[in-house]
Amino acid sequence: RSRSKSKRISGFDMAPPAAMIPNATASAAAAAAVAGQMPGTTPTIPGMFTNMF
Amino acid sequence: CSRLHTKPSISPTLLLSNMYQRPDMITPGVDAQGQPIDPKTMQEHFEDFYEDLFEELRKYGEIESLNVCDNLADHMVGNVYVQFREEEHAANALKNLTGRYYAGRPIIIDFSPVTDFREATCR
Repeated sequence: RSRSKSKRISGFDMAPPAAMIPNATASAAAAAAVAGQMPGTTPTIPGMFTNMF
Repeated sequence: CSRLHTKPSISPTLLLSNMYQRPDMITPGVDAQGQPIDPKTMQEHFEDFYEDLFEELRKYGEIESLNVCDNLADHMVGNVYVQFREEEHAANALKNLTGRYYAGRPIIIDFSPVTDFREATCR
């Protein structure tokens, strides 16, 4: 694949949508502060537990 | 597998849990809107991810091995394993990636005991 195609923006440091962060009305700085303590830090993986037993 | 995996306090290998999400993760071969996905699009999606990852990880040291689990179910889904040449490089990557996001999702990173991917299995 040609290098020229890779002018996309990296997915790194792409923050979650504001709606996902509690107290989204707070300033960006406050949002960043709570980001590390989000209750939903474990991503939901559909189908992950289907064969668990 | 008991899912009680050991997490070493130092290792040249890092595990980034559930980091890769296939575009057809809900239904194989179909996107979230129910439209079939071209295999070429799938491949490009994967390559873009791999490139992002490689470009970021190489900042922290020489990469020995970079493995992405491109599976759908039901274990180790989307797990990324990166082995650095040196433990210190892995430690540096861990320090720098902890608490950051990739594509809107938090990066979950830990040391992994795996050092030989040919022998690595999860029982």
